[in-house]
Amino acid sequence: MKLVGIVGTNAKMSTNRQLLQYMQQHFADQVTIEIAEITDLPAFNEPEDRVAPAAVQALSDQIKAADGVIFATPEYDHSIPAALKSAIEWLSYTTRPLINKPVMIVGASNGALGTSRAQAHLRQILEAPELKALVMPNVEYLLGHSLQAFDDQGNLTDHDKVAELADDVTAFLAFVTLTEKITPENKFMEKNQQFSWSQIADGRD
Amino acid sequence: MKLVGIVGTNAKKSYNRELLEFIQRHFSDQAELEILELTDVPLFNENDDQSQSPVIQAFNEKITAADGVIIATPEHNHSVPSALKSIIEWLSFKLHPLDGKPVMIVGASYSVQGSSRAQLHLRQILDAPGVNASVMPGSEFLLGRAQTAFDDQGNLKESGTVAFLESCFAKFMKFTDLVNAMNVPDAVSYQPGTYAVTAVGHNGKLPMSVTLSKDRIEDIQIDTSTETKGIAEVAFKRIPKAIIDGQTLAVDAVSGASMTSHGVIDGVAEAVKAAGANPDDLKKRQAQMTKAVQNITDITTDVVVVGAGGAGLTAAAKVLQQGRNVLVVEKFPAVGGNTVRAGGPMNAADPEWQHQFEAIPGEKHTLTEITQIDEATIAPEYLADFRVLKTQINAYLKENKDQRGYLFDSTLLHRIQTYLGGKRTDLQGHQIYGQYDLVKVLTDHALESVKWLENIGVDFDKSQVTMPVGAIWRRGHKPMGDQGFAFIKALQKFVTDQGGRILTETPVQSLTTTAGKVDGLIAQGPDHTKVIVHAKAVILASGGFAANTKMLQQYNTYWTAIDDDIKTTNSPAMTGDGIRLGTSVGADLVGMGFSQMMPVSDPDTGELFSGLQVPPQNFVMVNQAGKRFVNEYGSRDELTQAAIDNGSLFYLIADDEIKKTAYNTTQAKLDAQVAAGTLYRADTLSDLAKQLQMDPAVLTKTIENYNSYVDAGEDPEFHKNAFDLKVQVAPFYATPRKPATHHTMGGLKIDTGAHVLNADGQVIDGLYAAGEVAGGIHAGNRLGGNSLADIFTFGRIAATNALQDELTVTPLG
Ligand SMILES: Cc1cc2nc3c(=O)[nH]c(=O)nc-3n(C[C@H](O)[C@H](O)[C@H](O)COP(=O)(O)OP(=O)(O)OC[C@H]3O[C@@H](n4cnc5c(N)ncnc54)[C@H](O)[C@@H]3O)c2cc1C
Ligand SMILES: Cc1cc2nc3c(=O)[nH]c(=O)nc-3n(C[C@H](O)[C@H](O)[C@H](O)COP(=O)(O)O)c2cc1C
Ligand SMILES: Cc1cc2nc3c(=O)[nH]c(=O)nc-3n(C[C@H](O)[C@H](O)[C@H](O)COP(=O)(O)O)c2cc1C
Repeated sequence: MKLVGIVGTNAKMSTNRQLLQYMQQHFADQVTIEIAEITDLPAFNEPEDRVAPAAVQALSDQIKAADGVIFATPEYDHSIPAALKSAIEWLSYTTRPLINKPVMIVGASNGALGTSRAQAHLRQILEAPELKALVMPNVEYLLGHSLQAFDDQGNLTDHDKVAELADDVTAFLAFVTLTEKITPENKFMEKNQQFSWSQIADGRD
Repeated sequence: MKLVGIVGTNAKKSYNRELLEFIQRHFSDQAELEILELTDVPLFNENDDQSQSPVIQAFNEKITAADGVIIATPEHNHSVPSALKSIIEWLSFKLHPLDGKPVMIVGASYSVQGSSRAQLHLRQILDAPGVNASVMPGSEFLLGRAQTAFDDQGNLKESGTVAFLESCFAKFMKFTDLVNAMNVPDAVSYQPGTYAVTAVGHNGKLPMSVTLSKDRIEDIQIDTSTETKGIAEVAFKRIPKAIIDGQTLAVDAVSGASMTSHGVIDGVAEAVKAAGANPDDLKKRQAQMTKAVQNITDITTDVVVVGAGGAGLTAAAKVLQQGRNVLVVEKFPAVGGNTVRAGGPMNAADPEWQHQFEAIPGEKHTLTEITQIDEATIAPEYLADFRVLKTQINAYLKENKDQRGYLFDSTLLHRIQTYLGGKRTDLQGHQIYGQYDLVKVLTDHALESVKWLENIGVDFDKSQVTMPVGAIWRRGHKPMGDQGFAFIKALQKFVTDQGGRILTETPVQSLTTTAGKVDGLIAQGPDHTKVIVHAKAVILASGGFAANTKMLQQYNTYWTAIDDDIKTTNSPAMTGDGIRLGTSVGADLVGMGFSQMMPVSDPDTGELFSGLQVPPQNFVMVNQAGKRFVNEYGSRDELTQAAIDNGSLFYLIADDEIKKTAYNTTQAKLDAQVAAGTLYRADTLSDLAKQLQMDPAVLTKTIENYNSYVDAGEDPEFHKNAFDLKVQVAPFYATPRKPATHHTMGGLKIDTGAHVLNADGQVIDGLYAAGEVAGGIHAGNRLGGNSLADIFTFGRIAATNALQDELTVTPLG
């Protein structure tokens, strides 16, 4: 099984990147995780031609080829960073690779609360009709005080957090297998591929 | 009432924009609404801080000045568009203009529910602590099916919708008044008295006494003696005045002296607290906003100089000496630029003077090495000079064969060392060295510059001849008094005494031309004034770009890498403005890929004069393992590369005797640094090693070896060229160091008359450049002490030619 882990920030130093790197290594015998960055994507500006810039296309291809996606998001001002939102807007506006894709959300932040509000927003965003990702329910992996969470080798030091993450990943792998069984139906997919907000307004949907 | 409206998308076509425009028209009798667009707002990135960029500052200033803000948000993927999120992140990062600001949210979207989900998210976002806006509750104005909502004139069609908008708006007017009334800080009351407090400035303690009456800050007295002359004065003058005038602690730090500024602010805050009031109340108090009206100042003069550093003030002085008018336009509040930071010694060969001093061990060896250089490696244009120099050296060596002898020097040695010192090959294999005619002018006229400066009022300390780091030879003329500031103090006094005008805080933004001739400039003055200058000539003297890491990285062809977080020894003003101004009128650039690092900089601040900074013959450099790793007398880039190869961080080891040769420090400063943990001191080398987490045996052995080399006058390990003192008298010191960006050799292409040239090698009429902004002289590596020689020499030349060229074109009238 192959997953793409998306680092939800364009910052150079990110504990969310560290978290994905840790998952990549720690669960290497269970699953292959490729890490994808959004740093080089341009800012979304709603171009009229709806063509994905090369970097967006590359990210989109990577997502399409994967069995599932992990988003690791920081929290900026009680929501997801603009950079991650911009990446998602590109995907929703051009290639729409997330439709029916199993998604797991994790988040690391320096404060105590983890990234609960950003994760809740991300969940709502991923449920929008032109994204329609299958976000795994009931799992909210929050890593608070993330600057202190890793040792020099990049390992998570808190045993409870390691165990929780292992449980969540196992559950997610099962979720990916399950969704593969129940979503071979491409009708829904096509419908959403063609979804357009202006159509809604015209009363056609 | 004054409001700001933000169109929540960067899309070309937006119903939210139409909605705001409708609000603007419809309520124009109640409020003045200025609409701001997100089009030019860059995506937020915490590693690329753009808080000070004009775009973000426009948002910051307009929101700060407004009574309230209306945000019109579309809904993208059930949330706010990234473009809107981005500006909010910028406005919650370093700046917080939305803090406490009344905000109304409206939204237009294609679907029936309007933008309900996006509005909900926006509320939560605006409530985050970094933003902390006061969002009006309820009154959710959602405009669904937006593309059918407006008529051809852009007016909302349905009267019901308009009526609802009117009720929302009326409520917002009341809400705004209410919130703004709430934001007026409570009256503060103090326990009257004079409070003695000690704040922390740039160089250490800043004792202050603050006098408070029952309801006012009356007086602020500061002991300014420890702060840096030439840098801190502006802060001492301005910050206390701003605090007292505005009775507020919300005053802006003075650029270039922000640590001193914050020191003063913190000190007053401490006094306020001691007097039983809450300093936070005073921090919230807005100083009286100056009206943002655009005033235009129009000035006509003979010559206008960009930048009041060493080169600029020299050019100005020279113009005045010839009886003409000059205006100097300076970006920062204080004059002096990097020149006030300079260590002081200025290179000029003055053999008569230098002959009074004894040669020191190693110097003859250096001279012998020069005579042994293969002539095939010398560029043809330098060859004739090189041969004459060899004769001079051989005669000197013969004369002093059996005696220590005096310190040798000649104009030619200075010239050839400048050439050899600047000869470098970059990563792509391109070789560069100083352009012969420019180097000749520099070395021929450097001594004349020393004499000229004496005339202006600079006193030099003739009793010693010094060699700054990386200078290769002892030919430094050191001014009396405060290092680089000594030059600036004298020049500034001369310029103002002779009727020259200096405008500070006025960054030049563009040059003006008429029929291809540069004839003036446009600058941004303080308090939103625009300054337009008409002149017969413009002299660019705005310094280099070593404080602009991005620009360094963009042009770099020499270093394998320049870290994003590299520190600099420079003033933050050194952002390459002059290079941009020059190229905007077609100037050619030369040698831009070569920058210089200062190997011996403070690892935390990039500064040069923390710790024990001594003449290089007394440097003993050890790596983190306690071993020497380089010839300490080497050039700056050799030292830098060696440091990088050894993990960047290294230490300068000194003993109590070496300490006495340090520039620019006092025992009190050293004690403070030891206490702060930025300088290490111990009674034995073993203890010093332990503090540095080195093996004591290794460091002890390193020093033992070094001392034996000093005795022998020869260093078999790294071939250090000159020695002076041994490391033997307790206490011992270790000063941590790291390379930082220091100098940019590349710049505008000039000829020997300081005319700026275009890509075809032709003079750009009316434009001159002098100092670090110009390139071609120092090439791959500038020798220590050569820059001061350069700026005072080419500053004079630029002025002379600016006037002379002018006279040949238009007769004196
Ligand atoms: C810490 C330090 C120590 C040094 N020590 C030595 C030494 O011992 N010997 C030596 O020879 N050299 C030394 N140098 C190098 C030397 O100080 C500089 O190269 C030299 O002072 C440059 O002079 P300048 O007149 O060209 O520029 P600066 O003195 O830097 O002046 C440029 C001025 O232009 C202003 N300016 C910039 N942009 C604008 C704009 N858009 N509009 C208006 N004004 C603008 C700046 O604010 C500044 O005041 C040192 C440099 C540093 C940083
Ligand atoms: C503009 C901005 C806004 C932020 N807002 C929040 C916030 O609302 N809640 C929070 O927990 N952290 C906030 N932070 C801190 C980041 O959440 C924190 O750096 C990040 O969550 C940690 O993940 P990272 O290591 O991947 O950056 C903010 C940071 C920035 C730069
Ligand atoms: C990338 C993208 C995502 C969108 N997601 C939504 C959405 O989740 N809900 C919605 O009502 N409209 C959505 N729309 C359509 C917007 O509602 C519509 O473009 C906008 O709100 C109209 O306002 P404007 O004209 O000011 O841009 C989306 C549009 C884009 C380009």
